[in-house]
Amino acid sequence: MVDGMIDALHAVRTTTRIAEVRQSVFKQNDLLARELRQQFLEAGVFVVGIVSSPGSGKTALLEKTLASMMSHCRVAALVGDLATENDAARLMSTGARVQQITTGTICHLDASMVTRALQDWDLRQVDILFIENVGNLVCPSSYDLGESLRAVALSVTEGEDKPLKYPTIFNTADIAVITKIDLAEAVGFDRDAVVRNIESVRPGMRIFDVSARTGAGMSQWIEYLRKASKS
Amino acid sequence: MHELSVAIRIVEIAEEELERHGGKRVVTTYLKVGPMSGVSKDALHFSYPVACEGTKLEGSLLSITEAAEGNELEVVALEMEWSME
Repeated sequence: MVDGMIDALHAVRTTTRIAEVRQSVFKQNDLLARELRQQFLEAGVFVVGIVSSPGSGKTALLEKTLASMMSHCRVAALVGDLATENDAARLMSTGARVQQITTGTICHLDASMVTRALQDWDLRQVDILFIENVGNLVCPSSYDLGESLRAVALSVTEGEDKPLKYPTIFNTADIAVITKIDLAEAVGFDRDAVVRNIESVRPGMRIFDVSARTGAGMSQWIEYLRKASKS
Repeated sequence: MHELSVAIRIVEIAEEELERHGGKRVVTTYLKVGPMSGVSKDALHFSYPVACEGTKLEGSLLSITEAAEGNELEVVALEMEWSME
């Protein structure tokens, strides 16, 4: 009885109203990404984001890329993973400055993680900074990291319809890199189908074919990066 | 599945707004999701109550409107409960 009265009183004393908010959920990240982009611009560093599914060969590609660019420009990398410093250790053997970002349970990098990772860096000492995202074709698409260029890597072993299955990530990327091209024949890779699929979700996207293992196509990719970083 | 971090961010936005408006708690969160936002509606419905736990959004409803195009993900409005005292 008393409870009922308290409930009734409570009902009288509260009211609901709808308040307009109109706020983007990614706004905070977008603002931080904009600040990063400005910092990169002022420091004159060209930033290349690399996204792909796990195991597509991002780290191998980066290892070879860092090693071949080391002699003529100052390259560095941030690498994102849920756990372990394995990738950073592997990339450090190239001699480049490398920092691991471990995200814990988070499936993507966001602008605040990049900001924190770079807080002790003097970006003026870097010409090209690579940011290897967590292996994931879904989540990184929602988070701008302030990159100058975003590359999506896709290995020949993954299936030609990946661009159709994950159109969002292909849409946020500027260029596509087909990796492990040395295995193309062994796995019956249909390059025309991939090109067609990429074309249908991101018309006009520039595509590179590379093999980090044999070095095939690496010079075109590196030449492209070198030119893009100077423009 | 980054919907949990997305849901946590939604709760943060809602709590800031709630405080700004002087409301007591959030009853309904109205969200607009674009098809290119990279966010799944189902996964968001699944994560939302988890993110709301222990906050002033606990027990609230999530109402999602799907936009026809675009990559937006926007908290459009909040139904808040006010104390009349």
